[in-house]
Amino acid sequence: MLASEIRELLGGRVLDIKVQRTRSIFVTVKAEDYKDSIRRLAEKYGITHISTMTGADSGQTIDVMPHLSYGGMKITVKAAVPKVAAEIDTLTDIFPGAVMYEREVHDLFGVGFKGHPDLERLVLSDDWPRDVYPLRKEYKVIRPEPIRKA
Amino acid sequence: MPEFSVIIGPQHPALKEPESFTFWVDGEDVVRTQVRIGYAHKGIEKAAESRTYIQNIPLIERICGICNVAHTVCYTQNVEYLYERKIPRRAEFIRTIIEELNRIHSHLLWIGIAGHEIGFDTLLMYVWRDREVVMDMIEAITGNRVSTALMTIGGVTRDIQPELVAKLRKGLDILEKRTEYYEKVVANESTVLVRTRGIGVLTQAEAIKHCAVGPTLRASGVRSDIRADDPYAAHDEVPFKVITTDMCDLFGRVVVRVYETIESIRQVRYCLDHLPNGPIRIRLPNTPPRGESVSRVEAPRGEDIHYVRSDGTDRPSRYKVRAPTLGNLAALVEMLTSKGDYKVRVADIPIVLAGIDPCMCCMDRTARFVEPSKGKEWVWTWSQLKKYAKER
Repeated sequence: MLASEIRELLGGRVLDIKVQRTRSIFVTVKAEDYKDSIRRLAEKYGITHISTMTGADSGQTIDVMPHLSYGGMKITVKAAVPKVAAEIDTLTDIFPGAVMYEREVHDLFGVGFKGHPDLERLVLSDDWPRDVYPLRKEYKVIRPEPIRKA
Repeated sequence: MPEFSVIIGPQHPALKEPESFTFWVDGEDVVRTQVRIGYAHKGIEKAAESRTYIQNIPLIERICGICNVAHTVCYTQNVEYLYERKIPRRAEFIRTIIEELNRIHSHLLWIGIAGHEIGFDTLLMYVWRDREVVMDMIEAITGNRVSTALMTIGGVTRDIQPELVAKLRKGLDILEKRTEYYEKVVANESTVLVRTRGIGVLTQAEAIKHCAVGPTLRASGVRSDIRADDPYAAHDEVPFKVITTDMCDLFGRVVVRVYETIESIRQVRYCLDHLPNGPIRIRLPNTPPRGESVSRVEAPRGEDIHYVRSDGTDRPSRYKVRAPTLGNLAALVEMLTSKGDYKVRVADIPIVLAGIDPCMCCMDRTARFVEPSKGKEWVWTWSQLKKYAKER
């Protein structure tokens, strides 16, 4: 029911809607419609709570997925940004609580957020190289050599 | 008077992760606060991508010691959502029992720590003695006191034997009596009232704005509990009351946790009374179908949310965990900022920090006090700062 309502509200912005289970829904939109769609959802349903933001590597693109709470419903908006010069609009003016989550995605996936007040390091250490993003698939974990007995 | 910057951390006793705080203080008042986290970033999300779904259970369990059950329940039900399979009802009840026992132990632990932070160590001793009862109950069911290792994909690994039920009931009676006693203590004891009322204020509007979660949010008068809003395991059947208060301060957070403990005891009792018969797990293939899923549980500290993406292999292509503390961090910064008539004092920092999230690993900590205008700087150890806090 909510899925058809959202489709009607967002119109052509919606690329795909999937109901994962009762009370969880995935809405895929284009990166340029991302902020506008979320603003419309927030205004229509009075959404104030963002639970977190997930980044995920999909090969050529990175999916940015804020998880919004509408009562007991979880609405996950999904937008893909290219890996090279990855950038998307910030949500911090709609949800001030998104500040930390955007910093986390920026750290681990290298996605820039246009208009973020303070896009500093959050979880990685200060001496971590600037252009290495550990949760991208091209970053391989190097297993340490086992220590051999003398 | 010139502003001082006080740097606390990263070795920090009141939170489970080491975190670094910088407080700008004007005399006794904290003017503003900055937080830097990530000192305990272990790369669990990356590690989860290289392990199979079953191998990930012990890994996810070790995200947090205190609320390990919340994380494993969240993980296993998330993977079960991928299979689109329901687990046996008995397994759901056992999950609920162990989850609520975990919440009782976590809340009691926190009440003790809160007493300790305000210099009321008698409360710590009493509460922690009674917490042993619930630890013994968890051990009787799972074989372990802390990391329960009970959850598996498709159900639980151990059953609750009928002869154990009587023993668990006896434990619940003791816990209920003792918690009701603590309810009286915190409501009447002046040490608690003086050090918690009007301290660490977070108004309802601020709590919503900063997306706070769990008891912190409920103590600011917002009715939000995943067990009621998005029921999982047996919570769709087990009755309970969502505890809220509009006190918006530390005292409210104490009250919410005490009453929630009593609610949890009643929930466990209901589960024991209505424990259905049947199998405790179903067998699922090693490889879930392609897809993605979001799962939420109410951890003792608030909403815990996990995301999984499966690409059709036996290992997740992406696993994401958001523990409740990160959700409360922005709200914490708000609580530690003086505005208008509301003043945050240096002596209240430990209890306000402990107010959102407790931790046992009270390690040593150094606070460096700097007065930039005079180029003067000195160091206080954690015990000195605490002594100062208690003398206040």
